[in-house]
Amino acid sequence: MIDYQLLIQRYDPEHDNEPRLQRFTVPGDHTTSVLDALLYVQQKLEVTLGLRWSCRMAICGSCGVMVNGIPKLGCKTFLRDYHSDITIEPLAHFAVEKDLIVDMTQFLAHLSAIKPYLINDYSGTTVHKQTPAQLAKYQQFSNCINCGLCYSACPQFGLNPEFLGPAAITLAQRYNLDSRDNGKAARMPQLNGKNGAWGCTFVGFCSDVCPKQLDPAAAVNQAKVESAKDFIISMFKP
Amino acid sequence: MNSPKRSDEPIWWALFSAGGVCFAVFLPGLILAVGILWPLGLLNSSVLQYAQLLSLLQSGYGLTGLAFTGAVICLPLFHAAHRIHHGLHDLKCGYSSATKLLCYGTAGILSVLALYLTLHLILAD
Repeated sequence: MIDYQLLIQRYDPEHDNEPRLQRFTVPGDHTTSVLDALLYVQQKLEVTLGLRWSCRMAICGSCGVMVNGIPKLGCKTFLRDYHSDITIEPLAHFAVEKDLIVDMTQFLAHLSAIKPYLINDYSGTTVHKQTPAQLAKYQQFSNCINCGLCYSACPQFGLNPEFLGPAAITLAQRYNLDSRDNGKAARMPQLNGKNGAWGCTFVGFCSDVCPKQLDPAAAVNQAKVESAKDFIISMFKP
Repeated sequence: MNSPKRSDEPIWWALFSAGGVCFAVFLPGLILAVGILWPLGLLNSSVLQYAQLLSLLQSGYGLTGLAFTGAVICLPLFHAAHRIHHGLHDLKCGYSSATKLLCYGTAGILSVLALYLTLHLILAD
């Protein structure tokens, strides 16, 4: 066992004027994740530490935190990869509710704004078949776990919280590319606005931090092409 | 969320993209030829004679000359203007419709000037 030094940001809006860093010493070995360390702190050292977590296997997307300034899933990040103090802060660009818990309301509003569900007239009961080629078009973009790391990584979302953001635009592409879906016309107005696909300047850090490697920056650039096509088509419509 | 107003960004993004391609494809070759090989005397000097270059620009009813200016001056200008405009936003430094007009306006005026001078040259004799 090695002792790791954790600096965890604490903030309780009912008592604190501003956030502060609190130092904890946590024993760990090569299998200890940041989430394990945070749970050790909460259970053994500081019972009032607030954090959100659930599955411990990078499926639920709950345990996103900033580790030394980089958005990471706590369960998928290991202490062994850090050699000095490890600073753990709540996800950047979101309002902090308490300690490491952030308010995801705006993120969820952006997700629902692009109508993230199949829109079609199909009312039958038979299975809707898809070829492997049709599946391959959108499958990568369907792996999003809504962890919000890409929003913490995105400088444009940091400057402008109205920007739909990487995950929402990726989700719009995921449904627009699905052969079972006819809802593209309903989604395009959101993507066509200045806070839609055009809010992105292709920094690409969203794709670097995505724990499911689904390349949101590529999806946003595809959405720009779609929006540009939509722009040209709209010029020929009465 | 209400339906937002359609952005005019596709126009500027298309010019930016086209300019980026021209920057990457044509300018390195041009800089290599005119900026490095020619001054070093590694290029056959007859290639860059005025009469030779003029006849090249005039070929295809002068469209070659206009396409050349478009590819190495106009589109890269719009590429740079787009970067500056969005850079101002990133630096939180006066990003507004006024700076947008200034950036793309400058690119537009300089492009028209470049095309006018090219046309003037092509029609000179």
